[in-house]
Amino acid sequence: MTIRNIIFIGLILLGVVIAMVPENTTKPYKLTAEDMLVEVQGAAEMVTADEVAHWLVSKDPSLQLIDVRTPDEFQKYHLEGAINIPISVILKDENRDYVDQGIKMNVLYSNGTIGSHQAWMILRQLGFENNYVMQGGLNYWFDTIMNPQKPASTSPDEEFAKYDFRKAASGVFGGGSGVALTAPTQSKADKPKVKRKKKKKAPAGGC
Amino acid sequence: MGPLVPQEIIGADWNLFIAFAIGIGFGFVLEQAGFSSSRKLAGMFYGYDTVVLKVFFTGAITAMLGLLFFSLFGWIDLNLIYVNPTFLGSAIVGGVIMGAGFIIGGFCPGTSVCAAAIGKIDAMIFIGGIFLGIFFFAEGYPLLKDFYMSGSMGPLKVSDVFGISGGVLALIVIITAIVMFKLGELAEKRWPREEY
Repeated sequence: MTIRNIIFIGLILLGVVIAMVPENTTKPYKLTAEDMLVEVQGAAEMVTADEVAHWLVSKDPSLQLIDVRTPDEFQKYHLEGAINIPISVILKDENRDYVDQGIKMNVLYSNGTIGSHQAWMILRQLGFENNYVMQGGLNYWFDTIMNPQKPASTSPDEEFAKYDFRKAASGVFGGGSGVALTAPTQSKADKPKVKRKKKKKAPAGGC
Repeated sequence: MGPLVPQEIIGADWNLFIAFAIGIGFGFVLEQAGFSSSRKLAGMFYGYDTVVLKVFFTGAITAMLGLLFFSLFGWIDLNLIYVNPTFLGSAIVGGVIMGAGFIIGGFCPGTSVCAAAIGKIDAMIFIGGIFLGIFFFAEGYPLLKDFYMSGSMGPLKVSDVFGISGGVLALIVIITAIVMFKLGELAEKRWPREEY
């Protein structure tokens, strides 16, 4: 048998192999377990209810709240401007443009932290950027923003500043007693930066 | 893992350098395959020399198997690979014009640069023709635009059109290539030419 024929047979065998294996076995997960461990320990994905309240009050255009609870729960109550993407459909194609983008800062929330954090874990492992979790969820939101507790008189000044802000914010969101909105507690520098997504450039070719 | 640039494993600034390195390699291979001879290239159409067919089929098969196996091993995400969008009408007309130029001039754009690099005067004139074509196309673009954009089918893959997996299509292409190799050699025997 000539070398040529051996090469031909080899090529056909490779073709048979590639025809029989599943099409694309590239794992959709972009981050390894180690990467995720570092991210989770860093907790950079967490934003506090106070930060969210501040962005809402200041009508921050880059904020996109995503409610990952069921549509029923969303109907009953949701934060201002939130969209509803239940965790069961978070991987559907029609939601892709919301969760994988480089323009807005998505803040996921559920009743507690767990539901939104589950959604975040899945999205993060797929390599999507700009998704954050509201720490404590709606439960914490009601405890702190909607019904703020006056701090003890011995508390440091920051606690009082926080309390004042929460009291004022709760007025804006329609809870408690309305007090004129005073200074926000968060400095702008704390806001997570939106990571821009690079557009794929079209390469050209030919013979 | 791959592709490297869209995943930002290496910076997009490297694009041009990598293109330069590949371009040098491509030119070297074209020259080594004898493609700087317009007679060799035209031989493809007259049947006395089918090296062009073999080289390009071999290149296609190598790249195809490489991509599919890299994907199988999880080394590359094929969804991130750029696929040229198909404009059916303009692709057919463009192919006919390109083919006619290929037979008349004896070069394709890449090989004309190769041949010009080793001092072939006909190749230099051919390149002049390419630039004239580019100039007239660019100036006439407003007139041609509607046709140029017609028959848009998006980034289409042959395997999707036929509804088969990329692997099955690869096997079909490999078998086709081997049959074409054999047919090419029959043609070389049928229409031989002594000196060219």
